[in-house]
Amino acid sequence: MNISLNLNGTATDWEVAPGQTLLQALRASGAFSVKLGCETGDCGSCTVLLDGQPVNSCVVPAARVNGSRVTTLEGLLGDDLMIRLQTELVEQGAVQCGYCIPGMLISLYALLKQGPPIDEETIRHALTGNLCRCTGYVKPVEAARAVAAVLEETS
Amino acid sequence: MWKLQEYRIATNPAEAVALMRKGPGKGAYIAGGTDMLLEHPACDFVVDINRAGIGDVARTPGGDLFLGAAATLQELVGNEFVTGFAGGAVSMAASQCGNRPVRSTATVGGNLCNALPSADMAPVLLALDATCYIADEDYQESLPLTDFFVGPRLTVLEDRLLVGVALPGECAGWRCASHKLTRTAEDISLVQVAVALGVDDGRIQEARIALGAVAPVPMRASLAETMLTGQEIAAITPDVMGDVAAIAAGECDPLDDHRASAEYRRDMVSVLTRRLVTRILSDDGDNSQDGAA
Ligand SMILES: Cc1cc2nc3c(=O)[nH]c(=O)nc-3n(C[C@H](O)[C@H](O)[C@H](O)COP(=O)(O)OP(=O)(O)OC[C@H]3O[C@@H](n4cnc5c(N)ncnc54)[C@H](O)[C@@H]3O)c2cc1C
Ligand code: FES
Ligand code: FES
Repeated sequence: MNISLNLNGTATDWEVAPGQTLLQALRASGAFSVKLGCETGDCGSCTVLLDGQPVNSCVVPAARVNGSRVTTLEGLLGDDLMIRLQTELVEQGAVQCGYCIPGMLISLYALLKQGPPIDEETIRHALTGNLCRCTGYVKPVEAARAVAAVLEETS
Repeated sequence: MWKLQEYRIATNPAEAVALMRKGPGKGAYIAGGTDMLLEHPACDFVVDINRAGIGDVARTPGGDLFLGAAATLQELVGNEFVTGFAGGAVSMAASQCGNRPVRSTATVGGNLCNALPSADMAPVLLALDATCYIADEDYQESLPLTDFFVGPRLTVLEDRLLVGVALPGECAGWRCASHKLTRTAEDISLVQVAVALGVDDGRIQEARIALGAVAPVPMRASLAETMLTGQEIAAITPDVMGDVAAIAAGECDPLDDHRASAEYRRDMVSVLTRRLVTRILSDDGDNSQDGAA
């Protein structure tokens, strides 16, 4: 079936199978930041924004996003907030193998975009769907806190 | 990949039911799909109900809290009608369901219609006297949530659509709390207990105790409720509380499985019932006015 969506700011038409997941459709379209991990909604490596909300694209039917806005990391590479977040994760040493990082960036971005209050608890809550087997969560949480602090100062 | 022939999108409830019945082959409704995409049930087509206009959360003129079946769990976490109803117990239960990205698309209707004994939204909604609204092509029906579940993975719906659930305005001021007991924060419930008490004039006027994951369907512990109803708070001694908790544990019918033994589950019903009733009664932060219409 044919669907139309806004993918990373660009009007896009996709031919999708009725049983296909958004994860499969995104990777088929070349959005390789979206990683295939568990395919059961548990690990968060496939996290993308659907109309601004973080979702696990492996448990979203592709056909459902007809008429919606889908944002992957590819669409945020020039975004100031995303650049700040990426820089901070690297500087805090949060990135090891990197497999979880695109999903983690999307989840943290969605939280930071939503604005204050952002504290340790809200950050940990935002990361409940992102598993990291290398670094753990202390450094990502610290990185997000550092970005939140800068946002607060400049707002 | 899930073998599906067709993905249909409904724009209103009656159309959803009609699309479901149109054939050819076997159909199923799909909302968030967070259960269906894991289970890939055998069917030829699905009917997407996310745009059928049943995703709203509202306070009705009569003061009831209406939760549209397609309202997402994340909406229930943050919506101020929900956070302001019965001390925010429904928001709290939703916030413990799944993880943050799953809650963006998982719906309250999907949770109930999947009808697992461990469905995490069921106990708190049972404790707050929820009524279900069900649509057929040309009529709507309502029935208490207690009558909605027929067995594990089975509801009264057949091929009809759940439109939403309503919580009566009288419950807005009840004190309500639930506890989800799990092995890990991510896992499904080993046991869930929800308690709602309508307290007035130092007396428990109304009592509801609902249990999840300890019987073929989410259930109410009605004998234990009867013991509490009408009691003066001052008269609820630890002994009385022990009896109430033991009665509730006696009412459930848990299974042994790889997560926990039946005996452990039964014990936990007793522990959690006692803990929740005690906590609600000792909660001086009187929330009886919260969210009153
Ligand atoms: C990682 C992960 C963690 C999870 N954690 C939890 C948890 O902690 N607790 C918990 O309870 N669940 C959990 N779930 C299961 C699931 O997310 C929830 O049950 C969710 O609420 C289901 O809603 P949905 O809209 O995604 O349902 P769907 O998958 O769309 O549908 C589920 C069932 O309901 C039917 N259905 C849906 N809407 C209607 C309707 N309006 N009328 C009639 N039938 C309908 C469908 O046909 C299907 O049979 C988890 C799932 C994942 C992937
Ligand atoms: S691949 Fe989607 S959550 Fe793991
Ligand atoms: S950096 Fe390897 S999984 Fe997170």
